[in-house]
Amino acid sequence: MRRTWRRHGEGPWPWLAAGSVALSLLMLLALLLLLATRGLGHFWPAEVAVVTPHAGSPFAGIAVREEAIPGDTRRERLYFTANRDLEGGRWRWVELGEIARIDYPAELVMMERSRWGDLVGRLVALEGEGESHVGEAAWPALQARLRALERLRDERDRLRDEVVMPLVRRLETVDSDEVRAALAAANGRIRELQATMGGATLIVESADGRRVEQPLEKVLRAWRPNAMTLLDRVVAWGEGVWRFLSEGPRAANSAGGVWPAIFGTMLMVLLMSLVVTPFGVLAAIYLNEVAHQGALTRIVRIGVRNLAGVPSIVFGVFGLGLFVHGIGGSLDEWFFSERLPSPTFGTGGLLWASLTLALLTLPVVIVATEEGLARVPDHQREGALALGATRMEMLTRVVLPMTLPAMLTGMILAVARAAGEVAPLMLVGVAKLASRVPVDGDFPFLHLERKFMHLGYHIYDTALHGDDVQAAMPLAFATALLLVLVILLLNLTAIFLRHHLRLRHEVPSRV
Amino acid sequence: MSVFMSSSAARGPIIDFAASESCLEINGLSLAYGDKPALRDLTLRVPRQRVTAFIGPSGCGKSTLLRAFNRLHDLNEEVVRCGEIRLEGQDIHAPEVEVAELRRRVGMVFQAPNPFPMSIYDNVAFGLRLQGELRRRQMDDSVEWALRSAALWEEVKDRLRTSAWALSGGQQQRLVIARTLAVQPEVLLLDEPASALDPISTLKIEELIGNLKSRLSLVLVTHNMQQAARVSDFTAFLEQGELVEYGPTQTLFTHPRLARTENYITGRMT
Amino acid sequence: MIDPRPHPSLHLRRRRLRDRLATLLITAGGIGVLVSVLAIGVFLALEVIPLFLGADALDTDELWRPQPVEGAVEPRHRWRPEPLGEASPAHYGMLPLAWGTLKAALWALLFAVPLALGAAVHSALYMPRRLRARLKPTLELMEAMPGVVVGFVAGLLLAPWVERHLTATLLLVMTLPLGVLLAGGVRGLLPAPLGRRLTLGWAGVWLMPWLLMVGAITLWLAPWLEAALLGGDLRGWLAATLGLDYAARNAMIVGVAMGFAVIPGIYALAEDALNGVPDSLAEGAQALGATRWQTLWRVVLPAASPGILSAVMIGAGRAVGETMIVLMASGNTALMTMNPLEGLRSLSATIAIELSEAAVGGTHYRLLFLAALVLFLFTFLVNTLAEVMRTRLRRRYQRREGGA
Repeated sequence: MRRTWRRHGEGPWPWLAAGSVALSLLMLLALLLLLATRGLGHFWPAEVAVVTPHAGSPFAGIAVREEAIPGDTRRERLYFTANRDLEGGRWRWVELGEIARIDYPAELVMMERSRWGDLVGRLVALEGEGESHVGEAAWPALQARLRALERLRDERDRLRDEVVMPLVRRLETVDSDEVRAALAAANGRIRELQATMGGATLIVESADGRRVEQPLEKVLRAWRPNAMTLLDRVVAWGEGVWRFLSEGPRAANSAGGVWPAIFGTMLMVLLMSLVVTPFGVLAAIYLNEVAHQGALTRIVRIGVRNLAGVPSIVFGVFGLGLFVHGIGGSLDEWFFSERLPSPTFGTGGLLWASLTLALLTLPVVIVATEEGLARVPDHQREGALALGATRMEMLTRVVLPMTLPAMLTGMILAVARAAGEVAPLMLVGVAKLASRVPVDGDFPFLHLERKFMHLGYHIYDTALHGDDVQAAMPLAFATALLLVLVILLLNLTAIFLRHHLRLRHEVPSRV
Repeated sequence: MSVFMSSSAARGPIIDFAASESCLEINGLSLAYGDKPALRDLTLRVPRQRVTAFIGPSGCGKSTLLRAFNRLHDLNEEVVRCGEIRLEGQDIHAPEVEVAELRRRVGMVFQAPNPFPMSIYDNVAFGLRLQGELRRRQMDDSVEWALRSAALWEEVKDRLRTSAWALSGGQQQRLVIARTLAVQPEVLLLDEPASALDPISTLKIEELIGNLKSRLSLVLVTHNMQQAARVSDFTAFLEQGELVEYGPTQTLFTHPRLARTENYITGRMT
Repeated sequence: MIDPRPHPSLHLRRRRLRDRLATLLITAGGIGVLVSVLAIGVFLALEVIPLFLGADALDTDELWRPQPVEGAVEPRHRWRPEPLGEASPAHYGMLPLAWGTLKAALWALLFAVPLALGAAVHSALYMPRRLRARLKPTLELMEAMPGVVVGFVAGLLLAPWVERHLTATLLLVMTLPLGVLLAGGVRGLLPAPLGRRLTLGWAGVWLMPWLLMVGAITLWLAPWLEAALLGGDLRGWLAATLGLDYAARNAMIVGVAMGFAVIPGIYALAEDALNGVPDSLAEGAQALGATRWQTLWRVVLPAASPGILSAVMIGAGRAVGETMIVLMASGNTALMTMNPLEGLRSLSATIAIELSEAAVGGTHYRLLFLAALVLFLFTFLVNTLAEVMRTRLRRRYQRREGGA
């Protein structure tokens, strides 16, 4: 047999086609790599350099990146210098030729503070409460004090969340002296804790020799990046990742963690899948098994498929118009009129967001389920019917169990799509900073009318609306990485399920 | 209905049974898929506790006829029908007839084995469970009885809980027969039950068919003439949706009256 | 044998009842869901109607004709839906927004269509089956990338980078294809064992490091070239010679980012269309000695063209409605130029920014609903058309295959 496709004679076009595959893959890879390095690198306790320029005073900072100066052959380097209260900013570009010396002194201390961001410098002394630690002794003393502070802070937060807030809410309904007294006692205790926390002061010397007095209570953590071993760094990195995942945001979302956003996203997606799965499956069963298969079903099917192509923002507009202002407004008039004009359900919230996204992802579930139903061979249906099963018995006992993986796939794809959607949420209930999570100890525990935080919106907000975007970027990257990982994982599961499903339905009998 | 108008070809002899001897009775049955006629004006009776074979070239409507017996065509909205089918004297399309019950009474085995994706036991118990849950002991007995009737018990009794899809093709087909027998049908329709099987499995199925006729009436559709000759008592030859000749198998195969029948049997046309 | 069934007739009636009930339920639920889903368009239209009816109806000319604007001699298109005061009333010129939407979609398609179709052709024709089975899910993952992440990277990383390396970016557009062609040419000259390993089928993979290298060389050469040819200031040269302004977040950035987002969709549908062409057609041509590329060009592509067109249309639908990428990467300035280096403002981004602040029931609010309705109708129509074309095509092949 002669199969001599003239491989060399294919011409230039096939190569360009191959190049487009390579380029597409390269872009995807680059994006993933970028997210991974920038997102995870943020938590790595990088070494802090003390840069001494030829002219001017030295400064301490973490090297971020290097760029060529436009229209010039020289290069410049960006340093993250922290100390916003001292310098006015926290970034500094230095042309490479201007640098006279770079040192990495082990005694440099980096501190995370609840105000003004990070602080970097040499620890001179720890003073307060009648004692004073100077020089090398200050570092272990500082660490001990920080641990104690951490405990105090925990206790204060616990008191506020578990004692004070419930009391305040009870006061809204019943105004009794007893409650007032309890509240006063709790507040007194908090003030006491607050007083214990204060008092101590750190004296820190910046790289150019200026001294700062830093109240200790505002310091969250302190570490000496240049003195850390590799193991220390790995542990610190792990702790950083954990704090990112488990803590709430600080400093207008430019620091701290994203736990409320994770929680909000998960809760919203969970509610959505509770709505979308049964309805989507119901619609698919109707379309595929019950409805008369004619022109009308065909049109409806095309319509449903096309709905998947309708922009998500349109669903957001629909949700705002119908759910929030339509249904929500009426609910407020009927049941929550005492709170008007401040809206309860008549504004964006968890419920409306879930419903809007359920509508958005309905086509995904319907299409996937329909595909699953269509893949069940007719002879299985006939086999059940021939044994005297009614149509419902055939469906529930034979067809639907075989369709289960397809439904699951549909649900997972719906969840993956919903987790990444931001545009409609901006209209129907996402919040930049939700003061109260939608789930708490108050009846009815799940507050569907509350606004919530969302990972995707968090990225948008930190990246575009912060006052120092540069500083918020690493967090935005970490959030983006988290979101992408979740979505990739969901999609991979769906792909695996679908593949598995295809194998299982192939040729039931071995003849 | 215009689709049923057709030229009537010459008919051969058609055997008739007394109403008391027949289980199924077809009167002037015509059937079409949309505007494509599949059966034209069939009238015949199927004898009780015998094996009746329908033979004919592919597309002659023999499978269509079989599926009409338990109203599987109900699923297909395109199908147009006129004429009647009676099961033990009762019109199966009468409004008071329950399709589910009809299909229990008229069991069917398909060309390709179609066990459900569940265990062997559950496959056999499937039909029984539809009729209402039985006590465990009773269910076990019924399953065993059905599997024995289908000559499968000895092969599977140690692995009743394993997947039915792990069985060989021939075993799967006998499992499907067992599953059908479990609900105690009066008529068993077999749509080319051995066409997808190897010779040994085919032999087993044929043997099984012979054993079953003491208990119920069997209708067999096959394109394998030898098989029809081996297992059936009566044979009907269909061509282009029409009943051409119907008689005792022996007679039909040795002395066909019509040239059409003879041509088909001797293989001059397919 | 005794009948083991408990009260057969009673039981049967119960079963029948259950069947009827369930069917009724499914029918009601199914129809309910489908109707409510399809009612979205109707609802939007109902919200928009008061704009054009009633006493304070809007003059439709205001929406799409230039209007006199304070501080300008010529009438202009302007979108400023909230009045700033007595002297400066609101302007409802929606044309710049529609223009921005189409401009963004156009640049996205310009970037995505060649890449996606190239990838589809390559994987349908040249790629070994094993590799193709990997590529498809990989590109599916690319499609699942959330818009907000793509927009974030494009707006906050790509845009400043391109601003700094504009020459290099424009150069890349030329050097990357040239680099690919070079690779194809060089491969023919390589000694046999190496050349045989670098097959065209696997080129999608082994070209990746090569392209990286080409890119790096381009970046290294760019400043030198810019200095030599344009006096070291490309942007100045663009403004002086071509009259093009530059904004960091511009249509080109949006095009690349949104192109990235629509490539996988177009690829998947186009690949399906190409694969759907019966082998018999292609084999006929190849038997006559045509190369695979000639076969593609003369036989497969014409046969699959409706499918490919529908793939592009669905990509266009996606690009028109995409919100987060445009919002974050476009600068959101309502301009009416075709210049790829300037910003734009799309309908979808406008809705996202303004709707939560617009007074409920007001003109501005209803205009944003109108924008949503326009997006809905546009994408629905485009997608329906594409879907109809695709089903037609599929049916045609089915008939061919059936007849063969």
